[in-house]
Amino acid sequence: MKAATWTGVNEVSVEEVPEPQLLNDHDVILKVKQSVTCGSDLHLLGGYIPFMRAGDVLGHEFIGEIVEAGPAVRHRKVGDRVVGAPFAACGNCWYCKQEQYSLCDNGNANPGITEGLWGQSPGGCLGYSHAMGGYAGSHAEYIRVPYADVGTFVVPEGISDTRALFASDAASTGWMGADLAGTKPGDVVAVWGAGGVGQMAARAAMLLGAEQVVVVDRLPERLQQVREHVGAETIDYSSTDVLAELRERTGGRGPDVCIEAVGMEAHSSGAAGVYDQVKQQLRLQTDRPTALREAVMACRKGGSIFTLGVFAAMVDKFPLGALMNKGITLRGAQVHAQRYIPELLERMERGELTTEHLATHVLPLSEAPRGYRMFKEKEDGCVRAVFTPGS
Amino acid sequence: MPLPKILARAAGLATEAGSGALQQLQHLRLPGVGQSSVTDDPDTAARRWRAVTVLADLEQLRAETPEPLARFGDRLEVRVTPAPGGRGAELAARFRSPVTEEELGELRSALREAKQRIETGEVLRNEPQPHGHRKQTPQGEALDGMVERAPKEGVL
Repeated sequence: MKAATWTGVNEVSVEEVPEPQLLNDHDVILKVKQSVTCGSDLHLLGGYIPFMRAGDVLGHEFIGEIVEAGPAVRHRKVGDRVVGAPFAACGNCWYCKQEQYSLCDNGNANPGITEGLWGQSPGGCLGYSHAMGGYAGSHAEYIRVPYADVGTFVVPEGISDTRALFASDAASTGWMGADLAGTKPGDVVAVWGAGGVGQMAARAAMLLGAEQVVVVDRLPERLQQVREHVGAETIDYSSTDVLAELRERTGGRGPDVCIEAVGMEAHSSGAAGVYDQVKQQLRLQTDRPTALREAVMACRKGGSIFTLGVFAAMVDKFPLGALMNKGITLRGAQVHAQRYIPELLERMERGELTTEHLATHVLPLSEAPRGYRMFKEKEDGCVRAVFTPGS
Repeated sequence: MPLPKILARAAGLATEAGSGALQQLQHLRLPGVGQSSVTDDPDTAARRWRAVTVLADLEQLRAETPEPLARFGDRLEVRVTPAPGGRGAELAARFRSPVTEEELGELRSALREAKQRIETGEVLRNEPQPHGHRKQTPQGEALDGMVERAPKEGVL
């Protein structure tokens, strides 16, 4: 079958690879209908998460049709149109029972790597490096999904493929950020990053009752999407003092909830940006936490911050003093998609949550290298490149 | 030595290096960052109980040593205690006498496997996976070594 693979730093190829097999009784094989680039893929692509092997199949956000099911699969059947969760979660360990699916004890077959890095191993993520389990990803004609009763969700007929696709990760991640940050009616919420996840976090905050939602980015086409499709306010950080603007818009308090949806390759201008770039390239820090630093300084006293952007290891110049003295709660997580997808599909069916506008570029799988280049370089207003392996 | 043999030997060394790096990962961090202020000497480390928390019935777990731990026979001490907060049971094991690093790795792997069998009824497999051409690079070979070793490594 054809698959889009990582073949080296900033290199994506389309190769002929073997078809996946059922390896466990709870597996299914999906024929992939759509699979989409995610901002977190760019960290793999750029070599910032150095656990990719040339030839690894990329992709973790997808929708498809079940074509084969293992003998222990009880609640899914061949022919079901399903959206898949990025993380392999068993559904039976204590973390899964707490609905913290991305922390599943049993979903990562390579736990030694992440235990060494982080002290504990989170679950495994499809198409996201050997540190996260070594699973082949969804930018392929077929994908194996482990623990399928837990990790796949039947899509109601009334929802288009492209709308449901984003329930897999962008919408569930964004929703998780707004939810676990404790967003409640009357809150002011600021979101850093107007990509797919940031937009969905902003929409989630609005649906959870936030009084005011502000999204920070620099790309005009993304900020325009936020205003048009999400209905939130925007700040262009390339032309506006974000901290001053947020103080002014919030009566001097700062946002109650800050959601960071940028991650380890945050862009920033000026001397601080150069400093972070140099330190990262010299491997003196692994991650550039520009947006997170700003969120800590912006957040109101006693507020909360949720980190949705992917970070790998160490950051520098982190304002821990502000965090502590302002009494801020900082949380983060990889996506517990299984917890949120059912509710998101219901909201999508009711039209409360629309995502089609994120799919700015729909391409055949054969054009995956071009799709990733456009996505990485933000060419032609690319917000997300969606691949259609069946076309 | 012919070139293919030299290249094969170089690849083998990279794989071994990757495996070794993984063994040492927690000790390769910056001094004082993410490490205990005092680290165990090898003998103390080898004698520590290694434990997984299993969401399972305590008495059922106590009734019989689960596979594959049972295969170690009398070489292992096995302890099952209640886990707090409704988390099930703590399944711990250690060797009665000094063992090699390889044998410790086998114990880590066996504990993880026992937990998976009890909680999910199967042991998760991730090979073979579809993949494209594997370029032979030192980094790639080192990663292969890490992956091969990963089930037997970590802080467990």
